[in-house]
Amino acid sequence: MALSRQQEEEGAWSENFKSHHDSKPRGNEAISLDIAFPDADHVYGIPEHTDNFYLKTTTSGEPYRLYNLDVFEYELDSRMAIYGAIPVLYSHGPKRSAGVFWHNAAETWVDVVNYADGTVVSSLVNLVTGGHQRRVDARFMSEAGVIDVFVFLGDKPADVFRQYTALTGAAPLPPRFSLAYHQSRWNYVDEPDVRAVDDGFDAHDIPADAIWLDIEYTDRKKYFTWDMEKFPHPAEMVANLTAKGRKLIVIIDPHIKREAGYFVHEDATEQGLYVKDKDGKDYEGWCWPGSSSYLDFFNPEVVKYYAERFQFNNFPGTSKDVHIWNDMNEPSVFNGPEITMPKDCRHYKAPQDGQDGIAAFWEHRHVHNEYGLRHISGTHQGMIDRSNGKYRPFILTRSVFAGTQRYAAVWTGDNAAEWGFLQASVPMCISLAVSGISFCGSDVGGFFKYPEAELMTRWYQAGAYQAFFRAHSHIETKRREPWLYDAATTARIRDAVRRRYALLDFWYTLFYEHSIDGLPVMRPLFQEYPKEQETYTIDNEYLLGDKLLVRPVMEAGVTSVKVYLPGKESQTIWYDVDSYHAYPANGYMNVDVNIAKVPVFQRGGSIVPRKERVRRAAALMAHDPYTLVVALDPQAKAEGSLYIDDGETYDYVSNKFIYAKITYEPAVMKYTFVNENASYPTRSWVERVVIAGIKTPPKSAKLSQGGKQIPLQMTLHRGNNVLVIRKPSASMASPWEIHFTY
Amino acid sequence: MIYSAWRKQLQTFVLVVLTCVISAQTDVPRPRGVSLSKASLYSPTKDFTCFDGSSTIPFSYVNDDYCDCFDGSDEPGTSACLNGIFHCTNAGHRPQNIPSSQVNDGVCDCCDGTDEYANPEACPNTCEELGKEARAKAQHLADLHKAGNFIRLELIEKGNKKRQEMAEQLSQLEKDKEEAQKIKEEKEALKSELEAKENEALQVYRDAEEKERLKKEEEERQQLEKEVSEQFSRFDSNNDGLLTVDEIKVGNVFDKNKDGEVDEEELKYFMGDKESLNMEEFKSDAWPLLKPLLMMEQGMFKPAEAEEVAEETEVDEEETEDIPNIAEIDSTGTEDDNIDSDMSQDNDDEDHDIHTETPKGYDDETQKLIDEASEARRQFVDAERTVREIESNIRNIQQNLEKDYGLNQEYATLDGQCLEYEDKEYVYKLCLFQKVTQKSKNGGMEVGLGDWGEWAGEEGNKYSVMKYTNGVACWNGPNRMTLVNVNCGLETKLTSVTEPYRCEYKIEFITPAACDDSTFIQQQTEHDEL
Repeated sequence: MALSRQQEEEGAWSENFKSHHDSKPRGNEAISLDIAFPDADHVYGIPEHTDNFYLKTTTSGEPYRLYNLDVFEYELDSRMAIYGAIPVLYSHGPKRSAGVFWHNAAETWVDVVNYADGTVVSSLVNLVTGGHQRRVDARFMSEAGVIDVFVFLGDKPADVFRQYTALTGAAPLPPRFSLAYHQSRWNYVDEPDVRAVDDGFDAHDIPADAIWLDIEYTDRKKYFTWDMEKFPHPAEMVANLTAKGRKLIVIIDPHIKREAGYFVHEDATEQGLYVKDKDGKDYEGWCWPGSSSYLDFFNPEVVKYYAERFQFNNFPGTSKDVHIWNDMNEPSVFNGPEITMPKDCRHYKAPQDGQDGIAAFWEHRHVHNEYGLRHISGTHQGMIDRSNGKYRPFILTRSVFAGTQRYAAVWTGDNAAEWGFLQASVPMCISLAVSGISFCGSDVGGFFKYPEAELMTRWYQAGAYQAFFRAHSHIETKRREPWLYDAATTARIRDAVRRRYALLDFWYTLFYEHSIDGLPVMRPLFQEYPKEQETYTIDNEYLLGDKLLVRPVMEAGVTSVKVYLPGKESQTIWYDVDSYHAYPANGYMNVDVNIAKVPVFQRGGSIVPRKERVRRAAALMAHDPYTLVVALDPQAKAEGSLYIDDGETYDYVSNKFIYAKITYEPAVMKYTFVNENASYPTRSWVERVVIAGIKTPPKSAKLSQGGKQIPLQMTLHRGNNVLVIRKPSASMASPWEIHFTY
Repeated sequence: MIYSAWRKQLQTFVLVVLTCVISAQTDVPRPRGVSLSKASLYSPTKDFTCFDGSSTIPFSYVNDDYCDCFDGSDEPGTSACLNGIFHCTNAGHRPQNIPSSQVNDGVCDCCDGTDEYANPEACPNTCEELGKEARAKAQHLADLHKAGNFIRLELIEKGNKKRQEMAEQLSQLEKDKEEAQKIKEEKEALKSELEAKENEALQVYRDAEEKERLKKEEEERQQLEKEVSEQFSRFDSNNDGLLTVDEIKVGNVFDKNKDGEVDEEELKYFMGDKESLNMEEFKSDAWPLLKPLLMMEQGMFKPAEAEEVAEETEVDEEETEDIPNIAEIDSTGTEDDNIDSDMSQDNDDEDHDIHTETPKGYDDETQKLIDEASEARRQFVDAERTVREIESNIRNIQQNLEKDYGLNQEYATLDGQCLEYEDKEYVYKLCLFQKVTQKSKNGGMEVGLGDWGEWAGEEGNKYSVMKYTNGVACWNGPNRMTLVNVNCGLETKLTSVTEPYRCEYKIEFITPAACDDSTFIQQQTEHDEL
């Protein structure tokens, strides 16, 4: 091999793409592997694409492509590469589940052949298998790298999903505010504008936890600086927000403006922190600031330097309540091939004996899909360091790779105000969720174009039930803060956002549990109902944990939608969360939807904690009381969980938290601590217990907590079999029990 | 924290809540968060009925930190109901209604601190201070309005005068228009009459011209026929009516490059792909190619001379374009043109020649008719223009009279006045009741940010906002527009220009015209009553 390579002429493998040239100094390094999944009905994963959640046979077209790209106005129902690349693929059938992680950061293509697709199966295969067509094949092809494959085997999807996060990491517990509502725009133009938007939320009694600043806040796109004309008092601006429990999130992109006198550029030039071109000189590309270079986050020295930029004194105006948005980290290079970096650029490689010449560096082609991951991990380090490890950072990233979940939340990039993009947000986020990234959402309202009232309403309603909930918009579009719509629309948006806040502690608990078990927060139905074959291709509804089923309305002008209720065999009951009306699971049913209705169901057998007192921001609700919604299964039982801590520090690591199990059976409802060594001095209490689906109501109820017994008042609503316990006033800081007598 | 400690905390909390059901801050006892006007709806001696009538609950359930009424009316003083309203008296300053969600949330919303009663130390009472500030501000505004009002009254007087003048001007213009219209009609009649005579006289010339032209055309045609057939015969050596390749090959004149032989290329030049040419084909295809060569052969064709001829022709044609009715007399410009040669004999100066050419063509009588008709035309055009000008003035004045210059015409004299405002990048210009523009300091085109549209203040305060609409369209967006907030000031000027929404500009504009102290006092009073 080495011999034949020497015989090749230099540049023999080089290629041209449009006006770009790729020198390919190492020649052909491509690798490929075929993997068969017997007994699989479908395969899933390999995000990020806009196609369905279940993957399709590709023989009649292009394979699924994994190559992180800043695609302008990306297409729907497509296998084209967009911002993220996670090379993990799962198979599932009634017999078993499996998964393959193709550990490779180079450009990768995946072909899929599903034998159930009659059109692509040769008669020979039919002959050999005797007509049995339950099988899917996949072929991974990468431009470079070694074959480094992990295989996961399990009885059911959760087994393999868990193995993947065991390998690549689960998302750590995010700060609680980050699960609340975010308000963004390119751009809030100056301090008075930020103030007005902040006040607007209060004036219209709509909660919001973070205001975002896009690139225009900087001094001419120089990150870690402020435009002093428009933002002369950043610290004061941040203080105004934090006084109401809100945060500021500012953007920091990986491209660095090449401008004399800009400290980052000067340091990076001097210390050699930039990615190099094929000749070893600092690579220059074009991005927002104009001529730019790119920090080489593969170099530990660069990460160290970069992380230090986040020190409060290095980035004046910031505080623990300023969090970070890492955009353009595919990386986006406006004048590069496919709007990214040339593949023959050079990255740092840890020196090793005997590796010199071209072996002394990585080419960009080898590590491309991992660039963004290195970027966010540097940001993460910097944000932890800036508070000496006290506060949890929140980061949003656009570029995605395996492991991204350990550092950042992800949004689905620059979508448009069209129904199709709202619809795509669900399969895109489920696909990311099973691939480790539960903290996912789409730009509510759509980034490009302007959403009219109905689309905006539906998007808020959908976004309220997706993990990352942020409205964002393009600089050239009409302003669209919730109160700029007609009063009725504003009221519906308020209702949608309040729905999110009421469930905030439920979301927070789900993310805590994810940090422990690594399972998706936003789940495909087949994860919980793996034997139900109809669920295998459902990707317009999903589960939150194993408790809520969400089918957002994502179609214009509809008055009813089809909702699939799984669990018929196990006699599952689903309760409409608005009416507590019980629906026994029986596959598809029609649900009437007016413009205010979002079909959400709570599974019988589950308990969901809510906070009905929705305030301006999550932090202000910390000590508010809970309403516990108990949805009974056919045995009149239910259970749930609740996680409580301070919402922002790492103190939970040293047992300053409450992780409680809540159980209900006809005789007694119990609130007990799963981890008895952990505690948290919450002032929250139980203001209401709602028991849905109660057939034989108890005559009396008594709270016992701390050795005291208090009789409780109850009201029975006969119309929908709901029993409400009025003000039990039990403290959530210690265990309690409610005993019922009949 | 250990269990007993938080328990104590909880008890204190509950205690606080209970003791605060009835607050005794003012003379009339009323539950916390209830305004004086609603106090009578909460009677401690009776059960409480939700405002929406949905249910009746024991009075002890009012402000017990649990929401019993759908409308939130049972919890005016707690955060228990999502849609409740909390009232703070704010003694010393203005009272306030805040959403229940802001009660006990750790943020001081009422200046009297009553919204954060769970943690009384957190929010000191600042009403006295704020009230004082607010009153001082109000006083300042009142003074400003008072001072400005004097100027405003002057503006009103001037405005009314201006309008009156405009009305007078308008009626004068209406009269002028009538007169001008009359003159225009007279001139039109005269013009028609004289043009008819002129036309009649010129017809004679036109007929003669046409005859001459036809004659000449016929002569030329015959001349051409003759020449073509002569030449055809000259080469058609066997007189069979066809020119063959062989016949052409012997004709010297076909030897374009004069190399002594007619080669394939030259044959192809004249004959195309044909083997032979009959008379008609010769005439249409070969003749135009052959003629110049023949002329050269005969020594008739000298390139230099030809150019001169062409030039002269052009000059003549240009000249004739400007003079209707006598055109094309000399357009051929050849040596045998009589008129041309006559002219060159009479006039040795060429320029002079062109100027005097026109009268030369007609007899005196005709020329006189032409002159008279031209004068009538000119006078009609003038009369017509006068009418148009008057009409345009009338329209302008009418438009101005229709414009809304405020209740008392206080803005009338500001119409057309232009004010500028500069920021870092742009110079903005507001021409009142006309338009708003923006110009980059780095040069470039002036961009229209809107033309005068209408007064767009809220009801009861219509004259507080001006709207300029339909400016230049934004890329991928709407047409630019500008809202101008009008406030009282002793000067007339712009105090800021911003673009709060993409392509929607906001101008802060102060002027004494807005200093109406009577409405100002009224508004202040209303505000205080709230």
